[in-house]
Amino acid sequence: MDAKIGKFFESVGTFFTGGDSIPWCDSDIVVGCEREVAEAEKGSTDELKSECLLRLSWALVHSKRSEDVQRGIAMLEASLPSTSSPLQMREKMYLLAVGYYRSADYSRSRHLVDRCLEIAPEWRQAITLKKSIEDHGVIGIGIAATAVGLVAGGLAAALSRKK
Amino acid sequence: MDSSSGSEFDYLFKLLMIGDSGVGKSSLLLSFTSDTFEELSPTIGVDFKVKQVTIGGKKLKLAIWDTAGQERFRTLTSSYYRGAQGIIMVYDVTRRETFTNLSDIWSKEIDLYSTNQDCIKMLVGNKVDKENDRVVTKKEGIDFAREYGCLFIECSAKTRVNVEQCFEELVLKILDTPSLTAEGSTTVKRNIFKQKPPTGSDEATSGCC
Repeated sequence: MDAKIGKFFESVGTFFTGGDSIPWCDSDIVVGCEREVAEAEKGSTDELKSECLLRLSWALVHSKRSEDVQRGIAMLEASLPSTSSPLQMREKMYLLAVGYYRSADYSRSRHLVDRCLEIAPEWRQAITLKKSIEDHGVIGIGIAATAVGLVAGGLAAALSRKK
Repeated sequence: MDSSSGSEFDYLFKLLMIGDSGVGKSSLLLSFTSDTFEELSPTIGVDFKVKQVTIGGKKLKLAIWDTAGQERFRTLTSSYYRGAQGIIMVYDVTRRETFTNLSDIWSKEIDLYSTNQDCIKMLVGNKVDKENDRVVTKKEGIDFAREYGCLFIECSAKTRVNVEQCFEELVLKILDTPSLTAEGSTTVKRNIFKQKPPTGSDEATSGCC
């Protein structure tokens, strides 16, 4: 059900925004990044490993497949606490925000993107993401209001029938 | 959706921007798509913007892909070369290594990853507003373009000098190439729209399409 609603919001959102703001990633790119990570596990330096993992998380959260996005979110959530460099931290926060956005979790996405913009107010990719979230928010509220109206209308009709 | 969007423009072209970190790819794109210029933070992975323009009497939708110049993203960005009808190679006229890296690195990347034989390449020397700091001459740019068979322009994302011309010249040349316009009117459009709804085989379980 949630999925259907998400899809509905997404299609409505795409209708209004053109859906042209955040790039997509094909599954073969994800596969390529996985291969790199597997290679790096065989004894590369920690730095190389973390670069490979960052690319993989980028690919996952930008993927068209929802299971990839979920996996990307899980990977990023797991790695955030151990991230010490401020730059990596903010990159991961941004990618996590993209993941939440793509899984229609707009409030969490918004929260993270706001944190990114606190750190770097002029960060264009984060600004674009924020705008995309806001477009969804406005439409989402509109739809929610309509839904409430429909339910209320239905109740009123039911009540009037009872009388 | 296909039919309604399809009627809005005659062709859809994919353009790609490559070059070293900090040469101003994102600034150039921003300058072109939104008439503004900012000092930007480095691009993470890949970014893209869509702009509708009328060039040569044709209504065009340009999907412009802006890649991170940083080496750590290279294996990711290389996947975005395929299907591009135009590739913009950007260097900074005030930093010689960004120019030499075009032949050492970027043109090789094109040979390796571009899937389009006839794809139009354009060499762009950015930051000509800093004329006093210039180290790469215009002649060197012209020579490079001649050697590699690409178009050439010098511009400034900051002052917007030659920014529109840059994209316009590239697009005119694409329009002039039958194999590329054939793609732009059919295959590419289909591919782009395939990206929006989840594809049947993916069986997406949420609205993340």
